Amino acid sequence: MTAKRKTWQKVLLYVFVIVVSVVILYPYFVMFITALKTKNEMYAIDHILPTIWEWSNFTKIWSAAPVLRYFLNSLIVAGGATLLAILCGIPAAYALSRMKFKGKGIFMGAVIMSQMFSPVVLLVGIYKMMVSINLNNSLLGLILLNAAFNQAFAIWLLRGTFVSISPEMEQAAKIDGCGTVRALIKVLLPMALPGIVTTLIFIFINAWNEYTIALTLISTDAFKPITVGINVFYGFNFIQWQYLFATSLCATIPVVVLFLLIEKHLVAGLTAGGVKG
Amino acid sequence: MNKKKKTLTAIQPYVWLFPSVLLMVTMIVIPIVSVFRISFSEVGRSGLVKGFNGIQNYLEVFEEPTFWTTLQNTLVWTVVVVGLSTVIGFILAMVLNQEFVGRKIVRAIVIFPWATALIIQSVIWKYIINADYGALNVLLKKIGLIDSFVNWTGTAQSMFAWECWVGIFVTFPFVTFCVLSGLQGIDTSLYEAASVDGAGFWSKLFKLTLPLVGPSLTVSTVLNIIYVFNSFPIVWTISKGAPADQTHTLVTYLYQLSFKDGKSGHAAAVSVIGFVILAILASIYMIMSLRGEEES
Repeated sequence: MTAKRKTWQKVLLYVFVIVVSVVILYPYFVMFITALKTKNEMYAIDHILPTIWEWSNFTKIWSAAPVLRYFLNSLIVAGGATLLAILCGIPAAYALSRMKFKGKGIFMGAVIMSQMFSPVVLLVGIYKMMVSINLNNSLLGLILLNAAFNQAFAIWLLRGTFVSISPEMEQAAKIDGCGTVRALIKVLLPMALPGIVTTLIFIFINAWNEYTIALTLISTDAFKPITVGINVFYGFNFIQWQYLFATSLCATIPVVVLFLLIEKHLVAGLTAGGVKG
Repeated sequence: MNKKKKTLTAIQPYVWLFPSVLLMVTMIVIPIVSVFRISFSEVGRSGLVKGFNGIQNYLEVFEEPTFWTTLQNTLVWTVVVVGLSTVIGFILAMVLNQEFVGRKIVRAIVIFPWATALIIQSVIWKYIINADYGALNVLLKKIGLIDSFVNWTGTAQSMFAWECWVGIFVTFPFVTFCVLSGLQGIDTSLYEAASVDGAGFWSKLFKLTLPLVGPSLTVSTVLNIIYVFNSFPIVWTISKGAPADQTHTLVTYLYQLSFKDGKSGHAAAVSVIGFVILAILASIYMIMSLRGEEES
């Protein structure tokens, strides 16, 4: 009886897991096969798979629109924002994990609060400010905003990593004559490397995937990141779905791979940060 | 000399915090102040702020029926997407916590929607549900489930339901991974002991699992409420509020007001209302987190 029940449970489990996987993969499957269809077959409605597999779509996108430029912009914005967020985040996280001072609680509270506000509700103010300092329509503006809105994550994840490392080694280094900064760079940062890499990748992905700020601030084609740039295939009269999806795939795959690398570390860091502070 | 050193040590933490504070104040606090100021000002179509006009913008926003539809949509959107994502994500986490062949692969697959840009997800789903040549219609017709193509987004309700579906699709993986990390911290001997005591599936679920993964579930729920409330690309890409401004949420509505209709004053008023709602949610979360901090 129980053996039979166990088998049924196993079958049910597999059915559930397969259905979930198929549903999750379906849009990626659609993206993939559509990216490989020819222009003529795009609106042909009697085939699921392309009859002609147009692999050249993946090479054509680069000349059909300034796709390379969009990718470079995304790389500059995401890379710059990540670097800035980390450079500001490390000292802050260090102070929060190793020092006692007045206002620490308030600062931590403010950090959590800032995590709550997506830039979208502030768009009107952000736009006005960026126009007044002439940073709308510039990559630097996007770098600054992405870094700022990811600062909470940076501090959160880094502080969690620093707290989990015993301060004894740094103290020993200080006794040996190291200054605080040197002890941080030579002793703590190498030990915290896995946590730092996780934070770097997470912020990079967030900035890479960012859409709303870029849509609002950037109007010049030359400064568009890929998330906004793919709109070129989205014309008024007809949509070049095959190019749109070929480009989207190129923008998605690296990010998914990066995410797979950090998943274990990231989730532990995020939930620990949220629950235990 | 000694005194000087003491002051140095005292201000040291603030020096370390300075870059971070500077970045957040300039890029986050100034826009907050600016949004509040604009919401109480008369703004020309060009975006020129003309002067204080009290709560005029708010009164005008309240007179718009669209605002109230939008507010209602935002509530439905947040509750439905977060609620269903939490249930689905939780069940999936329970399943993924079992040993089975291919578990690692499924785990990796579940990450996909979380890692993909929202705008890209939105565009794919817009294509899938297209009434004239969409992939879903082609697929269903091919396998014989439908005879003729279905107009999936013919009404405001069906449009909005699809948007909620996409919202759930991109939101549940986060729940799954939060709950999984909570589940993996649970000592399996607790379950064995409970089984020995004759506890069934449901009583184990409610008396053991839920209390133990409670904190992870709280984090994922609170964060998701905030993300989903603020989510812009899905609704903007799929419907832009159409038909007849019936499917806006607060953030797409304020974007439309500000950047399409040239009503920055109204948009700012809507932003402040959204901001206040978020601030209330954030305070609840902050109090909970800091309380957790004291306990640990």
